[in-house]
Amino acid sequence: MRRNLWPTIARLPLYVFGLTMLVPFYWMLTAAFKPVPELTKNPPDFVPRDPTVDAFYDSVYDPDVRHDQVVPGLFQRFVDVPGGFWRFMFNSLLVATTITVLSLLLASLAAYALTKMDLPGRRVIFVVIVASMMVPWQVSLIPNYLIVRNLGWLNTYQAYIIPALAKAFVVFFLVQYMRSIPNELIQAARVDGAGEWRIWWRVVMPLMRPALAAMAIFVVLGEWNNFLWPLVIVQDDTMANLPVALSRMNASLAFNPQNMAVIMAASLLTSLPTVIFFLLFQKHFTRGIALSGIKG
Amino acid sequence: MPGYAMLVPFAVLFIVFLVWPLLNSLWFAFTNYNGVKPPQWVGLDNFQRLWFEDERFRKAIANSFIYVVAAVTLTTVLSLVLAVAFRGTSWRDRIMRTLFFLPAVTSTIAVALIWRWIFSVEEFGLANTVIGWFGIERVQWLASPGWTIPILVLMAVWGGCGYGMVIFVAGINAIPEEHYESARLDGANGWQQFWYITLPQLKPVTTYVVITGLISAFQLFEAIYIIFRAVSSVGGVQDSGLMLVPYLYDMGFTKFQLGYASAIAWTLFIIIFVVSMIQIRVTRALKEL
Repeated sequence: MRRNLWPTIARLPLYVFGLTMLVPFYWMLTAAFKPVPELTKNPPDFVPRDPTVDAFYDSVYDPDVRHDQVVPGLFQRFVDVPGGFWRFMFNSLLVATTITVLSLLLASLAAYALTKMDLPGRRVIFVVIVASMMVPWQVSLIPNYLIVRNLGWLNTYQAYIIPALAKAFVVFFLVQYMRSIPNELIQAARVDGAGEWRIWWRVVMPLMRPALAAMAIFVVLGEWNNFLWPLVIVQDDTMANLPVALSRMNASLAFNPQNMAVIMAASLLTSLPTVIFFLLFQKHFTRGIALSGIKG
Repeated sequence: MPGYAMLVPFAVLFIVFLVWPLLNSLWFAFTNYNGVKPPQWVGLDNFQRLWFEDERFRKAIANSFIYVVAAVTLTTVLSLVLAVAFRGTSWRDRIMRTLFFLPAVTSTIAVALIWRWIFSVEEFGLANTVIGWFGIERVQWLASPGWTIPILVLMAVWGGCGYGMVIFVAGINAIPEEHYESARLDGANGWQQFWYITLPQLKPVTTYVVITGLISAFQLFEAIYIIFRAVSSVGGVQDSGLMLVPYLYDMGFTKFQLGYASAIAWTLFIIIFVVSMIQIRVTRALKEL
Protein backbone atom coordinates (compact mmCIF):
# COMPACT_ATOMS: atom_id res chain seq x y z
CA MET A 1 0.00 0.00 0.00
CA ARG A 2 2.70 2.43 0.99
CA ARG A 3 4.48 1.79 -2.27
CA ASN A 4 1.44 2.78 -4.31
CA LEU A 5 0.62 5.91 -2.36
CA TRP A 6 3.96 7.71 -2.58
CA PRO A 7 4.03 8.45 -6.31
CA THR A 8 0.56 9.97 -6.07
CA ILE A 9 1.57 12.25 -3.21
CA ALA A 10 4.73 13.28 -5.04
CA ARG A 11 2.61 14.13 -8.06
CA LEU A 12 0.15 16.24 -6.11
CA PRO A 13 1.85 19.57 -6.87
CA LEU A 14 1.85 18.60 -10.54
CA TYR A 15 -1.88 17.92 -10.45
CA VAL A 16 -2.43 21.33 -8.92
CA PHE A 17 -0.18 22.84 -11.56
CA GLY A 18 -2.22 21.02 -14.21
CA LEU A 19 -5.35 22.69 -12.90
CA THR A 20 -3.74 26.12 -13.04
CA MET A 21 -3.12 25.41 -16.74
CA LEU A 22 -6.86 25.73 -17.16
CA VAL A 23 -7.16 29.07 -15.40
CA PRO A 24 -6.55 31.25 -18.48
CA PHE A 25 -9.14 29.25 -20.45
CA TYR A 26 -11.59 29.50 -17.58
CA TRP A 27 -11.01 33.23 -17.37
CA MET A 28 -11.71 33.65 -21.08
CA LEU A 29 -14.85 31.52 -20.87
CA THR A 30 -16.32 33.36 -17.89
CA ALA A 31 -15.36 36.80 -19.20
CA ALA A 32 -17.18 36.07 -22.47
CA PHE A 33 -20.40 35.49 -20.51
CA LYS A 34 -20.12 38.33 -18.01
CA PRO A 35 -22.37 41.36 -18.33
CA VAL A 36 -20.61 44.71 -18.62
CA PRO A 37 -20.78 45.81 -14.95
CA GLU A 38 -19.26 42.54 -13.78
CA LEU A 39 -16.28 42.95 -16.09
CA THR A 40 -14.97 45.92 -14.19
CA LYS A 41 -15.98 44.77 -10.74
CA ASN A 42 -13.39 44.96 -8.01
CA PRO A 43 -12.42 42.30 -7.09
CA PRO A 44 -13.73 40.19 -10.00
CA ASP A 45 -16.21 37.35 -9.57
CA PHE A 46 -14.93 33.88 -10.32
CA VAL A 47 -18.37 32.71 -11.31
CA PRO A 48 -20.47 35.09 -13.41
CA ARG A 49 -23.36 36.20 -11.19
CA ASP A 50 -25.61 37.00 -14.06
CA PRO A 51 -24.38 35.14 -17.15
CA THR A 52 -25.43 36.58 -20.48
CA VAL A 53 -24.73 36.11 -24.18
CA ASP A 54 -24.72 39.87 -24.79
CA ALA A 55 -21.08 39.68 -25.82
CA PHE A 56 -22.16 37.58 -28.79
CA TYR A 57 -25.48 39.21 -29.59
CA ASP A 58 -26.91 41.99 -27.50
CA SER A 59 -30.67 42.11 -27.92
CA VAL A 60 -30.90 45.53 -26.30
CA TYR A 61 -28.34 47.12 -28.58
CA ASP A 62 -29.80 49.45 -31.15
CA PRO A 63 -27.38 51.05 -33.64
CA ASP A 64 -29.58 54.12 -33.98
CA VAL A 65 -29.56 54.99 -30.30
CA ARG A 66 -26.48 56.03 -28.39
CA HIS A 67 -26.09 54.02 -25.24
CA ASP A 68 -23.65 54.45 -22.44
CA GLN A 69 -23.71 50.95 -21.05
CA VAL A 70 -24.74 48.82 -24.00
CA VAL A 71 -21.93 47.50 -26.16
CA PRO A 72 -22.71 45.91 -29.53
CA GLY A 73 -22.26 42.15 -29.47
CA LEU A 74 -19.71 40.30 -31.56
CA PHE A 75 -22.15 39.44 -34.34
CA GLN A 76 -23.54 42.97 -34.44
CA ARG A 77 -20.18 44.66 -34.54
CA PHE A 78 -19.03 43.96 -38.06
CA VAL A 79 -21.74 45.74 -40.01
CA ASP A 80 -19.16 46.84 -42.57
CA VAL A 81 -18.00 43.28 -43.23
CA PRO A 82 -20.37 41.24 -45.40
CA GLY A 83 -21.10 38.10 -43.43
CA GLY A 84 -19.94 39.70 -40.19
CA PHE A 85 -17.81 37.65 -37.84
CA TRP A 86 -18.61 34.44 -39.73
CA ARG A 87 -16.70 35.85 -42.66
CA PHE A 88 -13.45 35.59 -40.70
CA MET A 89 -14.32 32.05 -39.68
CA PHE A 90 -15.02 31.23 -43.33
CA ASN A 91 -11.72 32.78 -44.45
CA SER A 92 -9.77 30.81 -41.86
CA LEU A 93 -11.51 27.54 -42.75
CA LEU A 94 -11.16 27.99 -46.48
CA VAL A 95 -7.50 28.94 -46.33
CA ALA A 96 -6.49 26.25 -43.83
CA THR A 97 -8.24 23.38 -45.60
CA THR A 98 -7.15 24.38 -49.10
CA ILE A 99 -3.52 24.76 -48.07
CA THR A 100 -3.56 21.47 -46.20
CA VAL A 101 -5.04 19.40 -49.01
CA LEU A 102 -2.99 20.95 -51.81
CA SER A 103 0.32 21.09 -49.96
CA LEU A 104 0.05 17.45 -48.88
CA LEU A 105 -0.74 16.36 -52.44
CA LEU A 106 2.19 18.31 -53.87
CA ALA A 107 4.56 17.19 -51.14
CA SER A 108 3.64 13.52 -51.40
CA LEU A 109 4.07 13.61 -55.18
CA ALA A 110 7.48 15.18 -54.77
CA ALA A 111 8.41 12.71 -52.03
CA TYR A 112 7.38 9.79 -54.21
CA ALA A 113 9.42 11.06 -57.13
CA LEU A 114 12.42 11.64 -54.88
CA THR A 115 12.39 8.26 -53.14
CA LYS A 116 10.83 5.73 -55.48
CA MET A 117 11.87 6.89 -58.94
CA ASP A 118 15.27 6.94 -60.49
CA LEU A 119 15.65 10.64 -61.09
CA PRO A 120 19.11 11.98 -61.87
CA GLY A 121 19.93 14.77 -59.43
CA ARG A 122 17.44 13.74 -56.78
CA ARG A 123 20.15 13.80 -54.09
CA VAL A 124 20.94 17.41 -54.84
CA ILE A 125 17.28 18.36 -54.89
CA PHE A 126 16.72 16.72 -51.52
CA VAL A 127 19.75 18.44 -50.00
CA VAL A 128 18.47 21.83 -51.20
CA ILE A 129 15.06 21.12 -49.64
CA VAL A 130 16.62 20.13 -46.32
CA ALA A 131 18.98 23.12 -46.36
CA SER A 132 16.06 25.49 -46.90
CA MET A 133 14.54 24.26 -43.64
CA MET A 134 17.44 25.75 -41.72
CA VAL A 135 16.50 29.30 -42.68
CA PRO A 136 13.73 30.86 -40.57
CA TRP A 137 10.77 31.68 -42.75
CA GLN A 138 10.77 35.32 -41.66
CA VAL A 139 13.86 35.76 -43.84
CA SER A 140 11.73 35.34 -46.96
CA LEU A 141 8.89 37.50 -45.58
CA ILE A 142 9.79 40.79 -47.25
CA PRO A 143 10.58 39.43 -50.76
CA ASN A 144 7.43 37.30 -50.61
CA TYR A 145 5.41 40.36 -49.68
CA LEU A 146 6.90 42.21 -52.65
CA ILE A 147 6.16 39.31 -55.04
CA VAL A 148 2.56 39.13 -53.87
CA ARG A 149 2.20 42.91 -54.08
CA ASN A 150 3.68 43.05 -57.59
CA LEU A 151 1.31 40.32 -58.72
CA GLY A 152 -1.56 42.47 -57.44
CA TRP A 153 -2.55 39.75 -54.97
CA LEU A 154 -2.80 41.78 -51.76
CA ASN A 155 -6.20 41.12 -50.15
CA THR A 156 -6.80 37.91 -52.09
CA TYR A 157 -7.04 34.24 -51.22
CA GLN A 158 -4.22 33.46 -53.67
CA ALA A 159 -1.90 35.50 -51.47
CA TYR A 160 -2.77 33.31 -48.51
CA ILE A 161 -2.68 30.00 -50.36
CA ILE A 162 -0.14 29.88 -53.15
CA PRO A 163 3.02 30.98 -51.29
CA ALA A 164 2.11 28.54 -48.48
CA LEU A 165 1.96 25.45 -50.69
CA ALA A 166 5.66 24.61 -50.89
CA LYS A 167 6.35 23.13 -47.47
CA ALA A 168 9.89 21.79 -47.30
CA PHE A 169 9.37 20.19 -43.91
CA VAL A 170 6.41 18.16 -45.15
CA VAL A 171 8.42 16.81 -48.09
CA PHE A 172 11.30 15.99 -45.77
CA PHE A 173 9.02 14.18 -43.36
CA LEU A 174 7.18 12.23 -46.07
CA VAL A 175 10.48 11.20 -47.68
CA GLN A 176 11.66 9.80 -44.34
CA TYR A 177 8.45 7.86 -43.98
CA MET A 178 8.30 6.71 -47.60
CA ARG A 179 11.74 5.15 -47.34
CA SER A 180 10.20 2.52 -45.05
CA ILE A 181 7.87 1.37 -47.83
CA PRO A 182 9.60 -1.60 -49.51
CA ASN A 183 10.73 -1.01 -53.09
CA GLU A 184 9.67 -4.55 -54.01
CA LEU A 185 6.06 -3.50 -53.55
CA ILE A 186 6.45 -0.75 -56.11
CA GLN A 187 8.43 -2.99 -58.46
CA ALA A 188 5.66 -5.56 -58.26
CA ALA A 189 3.09 -2.92 -59.15
CA ARG A 190 5.23 -1.81 -62.09
CA VAL A 191 5.53 -5.40 -63.31
CA ASP A 192 1.76 -5.64 -63.12
CA GLY A 193 1.65 -2.74 -65.55
CA ALA A 194 0.57 0.09 -63.26
CA GLY A 195 1.71 3.57 -64.24
CA GLU A 196 3.63 5.78 -61.80
CA TRP A 197 0.63 8.04 -61.07
CA ARG A 198 -1.50 5.02 -60.36
CA ILE A 199 1.14 3.50 -58.04
CA TRP A 200 1.46 6.79 -56.20
CA TRP A 201 -2.28 7.14 -55.67
CA ARG A 202 -3.36 3.51 -55.19
CA VAL A 203 -0.33 1.85 -53.58
CA VAL A 204 1.77 4.46 -51.82
CA MET A 205 -0.81 6.97 -50.56
CA PRO A 206 -2.86 4.40 -48.60
CA LEU A 207 0.32 3.16 -46.91
CA MET A 208 1.27 6.72 -46.05
CA ARG A 209 -1.91 7.41 -44.13
CA PRO A 210 -0.38 7.82 -40.64
CA ALA A 211 2.31 10.16 -41.95
CA LEU A 212 -0.22 12.15 -43.96
CA ALA A 213 -2.51 12.46 -40.94
CA ALA A 214 0.38 13.70 -38.82
CA MET A 215 1.32 16.29 -41.43
CA ALA A 216 -2.30 17.33 -42.00
CA ILE A 217 -2.62 18.16 -38.31
CA PHE A 218 0.71 19.97 -38.35
CA VAL A 219 -0.30 22.09 -41.37
CA VAL A 220 -3.90 22.78 -40.29
CA LEU A 221 -2.82 24.03 -36.88
CA GLY A 222 -0.09 26.21 -38.34
CA GLU A 223 -2.39 27.77 -40.90
CA TRP A 224 -5.34 28.25 -38.55
CA ASN A 225 -3.11 30.18 -36.18
CA ASN A 226 -1.04 31.92 -38.84
CA PHE A 227 -0.73 35.61 -38.08
CA LEU A 228 2.29 37.51 -39.40
CA TRP A 229 1.82 36.66 -43.09
CA PRO A 230 -1.92 37.50 -43.16
CA LEU A 231 -1.16 40.65 -41.16
CA VAL A 232 1.13 41.76 -43.95
CA ILE A 233 -0.99 40.83 -46.98
CA VAL A 234 -4.45 41.80 -45.71
CA GLN A 235 -5.54 45.43 -45.56
CA ASP A 236 -9.23 44.97 -46.18
CA ASP A 237 -11.23 43.66 -43.21
CA THR A 238 -13.29 41.27 -45.32
CA MET A 239 -10.18 39.24 -46.15
CA ALA A 240 -8.88 38.93 -42.58
CA ASN A 241 -8.53 35.50 -41.02
CA LEU A 242 -9.50 34.99 -37.38
CA PRO A 243 -6.15 35.91 -35.78
CA VAL A 244 -5.87 39.13 -37.80
CA ALA A 245 -9.51 40.04 -37.12
CA LEU A 246 -8.91 39.43 -33.42
CA SER A 247 -5.85 41.61 -33.30
CA ARG A 248 -7.62 44.43 -35.17
CA MET A 249 -10.58 44.20 -32.84
CA ASN A 250 -8.24 44.31 -29.89
CA ALA A 251 -6.43 47.36 -31.26
CA SER A 252 -9.66 49.30 -31.65
CA LEU A 253 -11.51 48.17 -28.53
CA ALA A 254 -9.06 47.23 -25.80
CA PHE A 255 -8.75 50.71 -24.30
CA ASN A 256 -12.21 50.22 -22.85
CA PRO A 257 -12.69 47.29 -20.44
CA GLN A 258 -16.39 47.23 -21.29
CA ASN A 259 -15.45 45.70 -24.61
CA MET A 260 -13.44 42.91 -23.06
CA ALA A 261 -16.37 40.46 -23.04
CA VAL A 262 -16.67 40.87 -26.80
CA ILE A 263 -12.94 40.29 -27.30
CA MET A 264 -13.05 37.20 -25.10
CA ALA A 265 -16.11 35.92 -26.97
CA ALA A 266 -14.21 36.29 -30.23
CA SER A 267 -11.16 34.55 -28.72
CA LEU A 268 -13.41 31.73 -27.61
CA LEU A 269 -14.86 31.25 -31.08
CA THR A 270 -11.37 31.37 -32.59
CA SER A 271 -9.98 28.72 -30.24
CA LEU A 272 -12.96 26.41 -30.16
CA PRO A 273 -12.60 24.68 -33.56
CA THR A 274 -8.99 23.55 -33.03
CA VAL A 275 -9.62 22.61 -29.41
CA ILE A 276 -12.64 20.46 -30.32
CA PHE A 277 -10.72 18.97 -33.22
CA PHE A 278 -7.89 18.16 -30.84
CA LEU A 279 -10.16 16.58 -28.24
CA LEU A 280 -11.75 14.38 -30.93
CA PHE A 281 -8.55 13.25 -32.61
CA GLN A 282 -6.27 13.46 -29.63
CA LYS A 283 -4.44 10.23 -30.31
CA HIS A 284 -3.56 11.29 -33.84
CA PHE A 285 -2.56 14.72 -32.62
CA THR A 286 -0.09 13.63 -30.02
CA ARG A 287 1.17 10.76 -32.15
CA GLY A 288 1.54 13.13 -35.07
CA ILE A 289 3.44 15.63 -32.98
CA ALA A 290 5.64 12.95 -31.48
CA LEU A 291 6.25 11.38 -34.88
CA SER A 292 7.11 14.61 -36.64
CA GLY A 293 8.95 15.72 -33.54
CA ILE A 294 11.32 12.83 -33.11
CA LYS A 295 12.12 12.37 -36.74
CA GLY A 296 12.17 16.06 -37.67
CA MET B 1 9.42 11.41 -67.45
CA PRO B 2 6.51 11.15 -64.99
CA GLY B 3 9.11 11.50 -62.23
CA TYR B 4 9.85 15.09 -63.18
CA ALA B 5 6.18 15.79 -63.83
CA MET B 6 5.48 14.76 -60.26
CA LEU B 7 8.25 16.93 -58.90
CA VAL B 8 7.56 20.02 -60.98
CA PRO B 9 4.50 21.50 -59.16
CA PHE B 10 6.30 21.43 -55.83
CA ALA B 11 9.63 22.48 -57.32
CA VAL B 12 8.18 25.52 -59.09
CA LEU B 13 6.44 26.82 -55.95
CA PHE B 14 9.50 25.99 -53.86
CA ILE B 15 11.76 28.02 -56.14
CA VAL B 16 9.37 30.95 -56.65
CA PHE B 17 8.24 31.40 -53.03
CA LEU B 18 11.19 30.08 -51.06
CA VAL B 19 14.54 29.88 -52.84
CA TRP B 20 14.15 33.03 -54.90
CA PRO B 21 12.87 35.12 -51.94
CA LEU B 22 15.78 33.91 -49.82
CA LEU B 23 18.32 34.99 -52.44
CA ASN B 24 16.41 38.23 -52.86
CA SER B 25 16.42 39.03 -49.19
CA LEU B 26 20.16 38.34 -49.04
CA TRP B 27 20.63 40.92 -51.79
CA PHE B 28 18.28 43.41 -50.08
CA ALA B 29 20.33 43.15 -46.90
CA PHE B 30 23.17 44.88 -48.76
CA THR B 31 20.98 47.60 -50.21
CA ASN B 32 19.01 50.64 -49.28
CA TYR B 33 15.44 49.88 -50.28
CA ASN B 34 12.09 51.42 -49.42
CA GLY B 35 9.93 49.21 -51.65
CA VAL B 36 9.22 51.97 -54.14
CA LYS B 37 12.51 53.17 -55.63
CA PRO B 38 14.84 50.42 -56.92
CA PRO B 39 17.27 49.02 -54.34
CA GLN B 40 20.60 50.80 -54.00
CA TRP B 41 23.76 48.82 -53.18
CA VAL B 42 25.32 50.03 -49.93
CA GLY B 43 27.65 47.12 -49.13
CA LEU B 44 27.92 46.28 -45.47
CA ASP B 45 26.37 49.56 -44.26
CA ASN B 46 23.20 47.92 -42.96
CA PHE B 47 25.10 45.35 -40.93
CA GLN B 48 27.57 47.99 -39.74
CA ARG B 49 24.72 50.18 -38.52
CA LEU B 50 22.80 47.24 -37.11
CA TRP B 51 25.56 45.52 -35.18
CA PHE B 52 27.63 48.48 -34.04
CA GLU B 53 25.48 51.59 -33.92
CA ASP B 54 21.85 50.68 -33.38
CA GLU B 55 20.77 51.05 -29.74
CA ARG B 56 17.33 49.58 -30.35
CA PHE B 57 18.82 46.51 -31.97
CA ARG B 58 21.14 46.01 -29.00
CA LYS B 59 18.07 46.15 -26.80
CA ALA B 60 16.25 43.67 -29.04
CA ILE B 61 19.18 41.21 -28.94
CA ALA B 62 19.58 41.51 -25.17
CA ASN B 63 15.84 40.97 -24.63
CA SER B 64 15.83 38.01 -27.00
CA PHE B 65 18.71 36.26 -25.26
CA ILE B 66 17.35 36.75 -21.76
CA TYR B 67 13.92 35.58 -22.85
CA VAL B 68 15.23 32.60 -24.82
CA VAL B 69 17.48 31.31 -22.06
CA ALA B 70 14.81 31.63 -19.38
CA ALA B 71 11.95 30.29 -21.47
CA VAL B 72 13.79 27.33 -23.00
CA THR B 73 15.43 26.22 -19.75
CA LEU B 74 12.23 26.37 -17.73
CA THR B 75 10.11 24.78 -20.44
CA THR B 76 12.53 21.90 -21.05
CA VAL B 77 13.00 21.04 -17.38
CA LEU B 78 9.29 21.24 -16.68
CA SER B 79 8.41 19.19 -19.77
CA LEU B 80 10.78 16.47 -18.65
CA VAL B 81 9.38 16.41 -15.11
CA LEU B 82 5.83 16.25 -16.46
CA ALA B 83 6.74 13.53 -18.95
CA VAL B 84 8.27 11.36 -16.23
CA ALA B 85 5.24 11.91 -14.00
CA PHE B 86 2.55 11.40 -16.63
CA ARG B 87 4.09 8.98 -19.13
CA GLY B 88 1.64 6.16 -18.40
CA THR B 89 -1.48 4.97 -20.16
CA SER B 90 -3.91 5.36 -17.24
CA TRP B 91 -6.82 7.73 -17.72
CA ARG B 92 -5.36 10.11 -15.14
CA ASP B 93 -2.11 10.43 -17.06
CA ARG B 94 -3.94 10.88 -20.32
CA ILE B 95 -6.12 13.64 -18.91
CA MET B 96 -3.09 15.43 -17.55
CA ARG B 97 -1.31 15.19 -20.91
CA THR B 98 -4.40 16.65 -22.58
CA LEU B 99 -4.50 19.52 -20.11
CA PHE B 100 -0.90 20.47 -20.70
CA PHE B 101 -1.14 20.11 -24.44
CA LEU B 102 -4.26 22.25 -24.79
CA PRO B 103 -2.43 25.60 -25.09
CA ALA B 104 -0.39 24.25 -28.01
CA VAL B 105 -3.53 23.94 -30.14
CA THR B 106 -5.08 27.24 -29.11
CA SER B 107 -4.64 30.31 -31.27
CA THR B 108 -1.62 32.30 -30.12
CA ILE B 109 -3.50 35.55 -30.62
CA ALA B 110 -6.44 34.38 -28.51
CA VAL B 111 -4.01 33.22 -25.82
CA ALA B 112 -2.21 36.56 -25.85
CA LEU B 113 -5.52 38.39 -25.46
CA ILE B 114 -6.45 36.25 -22.47
CA TRP B 115 -3.14 37.00 -20.75
CA ARG B 116 -3.58 40.66 -21.52
CA TRP B 117 -6.90 40.58 -19.70
CA ILE B 118 -5.43 38.60 -16.78
CA PHE B 119 -2.63 41.13 -16.38
CA SER B 120 -4.82 44.16 -16.85
CA VAL B 121 -3.66 47.02 -14.71
CA GLU B 122 -6.84 47.58 -12.75
CA GLU B 123 -7.78 45.52 -9.73
CA PHE B 124 -10.27 43.49 -11.74
CA GLY B 125 -7.29 41.88 -13.44
CA LEU B 126 -6.90 38.32 -12.20
CA ALA B 127 -3.18 38.69 -11.47
CA ASN B 128 -3.76 41.73 -9.26
CA THR B 129 -6.63 40.02 -7.48
CA VAL B 130 -4.53 36.96 -6.68
CA ILE B 131 -1.61 38.92 -5.31
CA GLY B 132 -4.17 41.00 -3.43
CA TRP B 133 -5.11 37.88 -1.43
CA PHE B 134 -1.57 37.88 -0.07
CA GLY B 135 -1.76 41.55 0.77
CA ILE B 136 0.52 42.62 -2.03
CA GLU B 137 -0.28 45.91 -3.62
CA ARG B 138 -1.43 45.91 -7.23
CA VAL B 139 1.18 46.08 -9.94
CA GLN B 140 1.07 47.92 -13.25
CA TRP B 141 2.04 44.69 -14.99
CA LEU B 142 1.91 45.74 -18.61
CA ALA B 143 3.18 49.25 -18.03
CA SER B 144 6.27 48.25 -16.03
CA PRO B 145 9.27 47.43 -18.24
CA GLY B 146 10.64 45.08 -15.58
CA TRP B 147 7.65 42.76 -15.87
CA THR B 148 7.64 42.42 -19.64
CA ILE B 149 10.05 39.51 -19.98
CA PRO B 150 8.83 37.58 -16.92
CA ILE B 151 5.29 37.72 -18.32
CA LEU B 152 6.49 36.56 -21.73
CA VAL B 153 8.44 33.71 -20.10
CA LEU B 154 5.39 32.68 -18.09
CA MET B 155 3.35 32.59 -21.29
CA ALA B 156 6.04 30.57 -23.05
CA VAL B 157 6.21 27.99 -20.26
CA TRP B 158 2.43 27.75 -20.05
CA GLY B 159 2.16 27.36 -23.80
CA GLY B 160 5.20 25.17 -24.43
CA CYS B 161 5.54 22.58 -21.69
CA GLY B 162 2.79 20.35 -23.10
CA TYR B 163 4.49 20.10 -26.47
CA GLY B 164 7.86 19.22 -24.93
CA MET B 165 6.12 16.78 -22.63
CA VAL B 166 4.53 14.83 -25.51
CA ILE B 167 7.89 14.48 -27.23
CA PHE B 168 9.60 13.40 -24.02
CA VAL B 169 6.87 10.83 -23.35
CA ALA B 170 7.43 9.34 -26.81
CA GLY B 171 11.17 9.26 -26.08
CA ILE B 172 10.72 7.61 -22.69
CA ASN B 173 8.39 4.96 -24.07
CA ALA B 174 11.01 4.08 -26.69
CA ILE B 175 13.53 3.09 -24.00
CA PRO B 176 13.63 -0.72 -23.77
CA GLU B 177 12.05 -2.02 -20.56
CA GLU B 178 14.94 -4.51 -20.09
CA HIS B 179 17.26 -1.64 -19.15
CA TYR B 180 15.08 -0.88 -16.16
CA GLU B 181 14.61 -4.52 -15.26
CA SER B 182 18.31 -5.24 -15.06
CA ALA B 183 18.86 -2.00 -13.15
CA ARG B 184 16.22 -3.02 -10.63
CA LEU B 185 17.90 -6.41 -10.28
CA ASP B 186 21.12 -4.55 -9.47
CA GLY B 187 19.20 -2.65 -6.81
CA ALA B 188 18.91 0.77 -8.45
CA ASN B 189 16.24 2.99 -6.94
CA GLY B 190 13.87 5.21 -8.92
CA TRP B 191 16.12 8.22 -8.84
CA GLN B 192 19.16 6.21 -9.98
CA GLN B 193 17.13 4.68 -12.79
CA PHE B 194 16.15 8.14 -13.93
CA TRP B 195 19.67 9.53 -13.67
CA TYR B 196 21.58 6.62 -15.23
CA ILE B 197 19.09 5.25 -17.73
CA THR B 198 16.29 7.64 -18.63
CA LEU B 199 18.33 10.84 -18.87
CA PRO B 200 21.23 9.48 -20.99
CA GLN B 201 18.83 7.62 -23.28
CA LEU B 202 16.82 10.80 -23.78
CA LYS B 203 19.80 12.84 -25.00
CA PRO B 204 18.75 12.97 -28.67
CA VAL B 205 15.18 13.83 -27.67
CA THR B 206 16.40 16.53 -25.31
CA THR B 207 18.57 17.98 -28.06
CA TYR B 208 15.55 18.08 -30.31
CA VAL B 209 13.34 19.74 -27.70
CA VAL B 210 15.98 22.33 -26.87
CA ILE B 211 16.80 23.17 -30.49
CA THR B 212 13.20 23.53 -31.60
CA GLY B 213 12.52 25.51 -28.42
CA LEU B 214 15.42 27.85 -29.13
CA ILE B 215 14.42 28.35 -32.74
CA SER B 216 10.83 29.17 -31.96
CA ALA B 217 11.74 31.35 -28.98
CA PHE B 218 14.01 33.49 -31.15
CA GLN B 219 11.07 33.98 -33.50
CA LEU B 220 8.67 35.29 -30.87
CA PHE B 221 6.30 37.84 -32.34
CA GLU B 222 2.59 37.44 -31.63
CA ALA B 223 2.66 37.81 -27.86
CA ILE B 224 4.74 40.98 -28.04
CA TYR B 225 2.67 42.44 -30.84
CA ILE B 226 -0.61 41.85 -29.02
CA ILE B 227 0.30 42.52 -25.41
CA PHE B 228 3.11 45.02 -25.44
CA ARG B 229 2.65 47.07 -28.54
CA ALA B 230 2.91 50.72 -27.59
CA VAL B 231 1.29 53.46 -29.61
CA SER B 232 4.37 54.30 -31.65
CA SER B 233 6.35 51.06 -31.75
CA VAL B 234 5.89 47.31 -31.45
CA GLY B 235 8.39 46.98 -28.60
CA GLY B 236 6.27 48.07 -25.65
CA VAL B 237 7.20 50.48 -22.88
CA GLN B 238 10.80 51.62 -23.40
CA ASP B 239 11.21 48.77 -25.88
CA SER B 240 11.22 46.38 -22.93
CA GLY B 241 9.68 43.70 -25.14
CA LEU B 242 11.48 44.47 -28.36
CA MET B 243 12.92 41.31 -29.92
CA LEU B 244 14.22 40.28 -33.31
CA VAL B 245 11.07 39.54 -35.29
CA PRO B 246 9.07 42.48 -33.87
CA TYR B 247 11.99 44.73 -34.77
CA LEU B 248 12.07 43.22 -38.26
CA TYR B 249 8.35 43.88 -38.61
CA ASP B 250 8.71 47.42 -37.29
CA MET B 251 11.53 48.28 -39.69
CA GLY B 252 10.00 46.51 -42.69
CA PHE B 253 6.31 47.22 -42.44
CA THR B 254 5.90 50.40 -40.42
CA LYS B 255 9.10 52.24 -41.39
CA PHE B 256 9.54 50.62 -44.83
CA GLN B 257 13.30 50.22 -44.51
CA LEU B 258 13.23 46.93 -46.37
CA GLY B 259 16.99 46.66 -46.82
CA TYR B 260 17.65 47.23 -43.16
CA ALA B 261 14.87 44.82 -42.18
CA SER B 262 16.46 42.17 -44.41
CA ALA B 263 19.74 42.65 -42.56
CA ILE B 264 17.81 41.95 -39.33
CA ALA B 265 16.31 38.83 -40.92
CA TRP B 266 19.72 37.45 -41.88
CA THR B 267 21.06 38.27 -38.44
CA LEU B 268 18.21 36.18 -37.04
CA PHE B 269 19.29 33.34 -39.32
CA ILE B 270 22.94 33.64 -38.26
CA ILE B 271 22.00 33.56 -34.57
CA ILE B 272 19.69 30.56 -34.94
CA PHE B 273 22.26 28.74 -37.07
CA VAL B 274 25.14 29.33 -34.66
CA VAL B 275 23.10 28.43 -31.60
CA SER B 276 21.88 25.15 -33.11
CA MET B 277 25.40 24.26 -34.27
CA ILE B 278 26.77 24.86 -30.77
CA GLN B 279 23.95 22.81 -29.32
CA ILE B 280 24.61 19.87 -31.67
CA ARG B 281 28.36 20.01 -31.02
CA VAL B 282 27.93 20.11 -27.26
CA THR B 283 25.54 17.15 -27.27
CA ARG B 284 27.84 15.15 -29.52
CA ALA B 285 30.78 15.91 -27.24
CA LEU B 286 28.76 14.87 -24.21
CA LYS B 287 27.81 11.64 -25.92
CA GLU B 288 31.46 10.72 -26.50
CA LEU B 289 32.40 11.26 -22.86
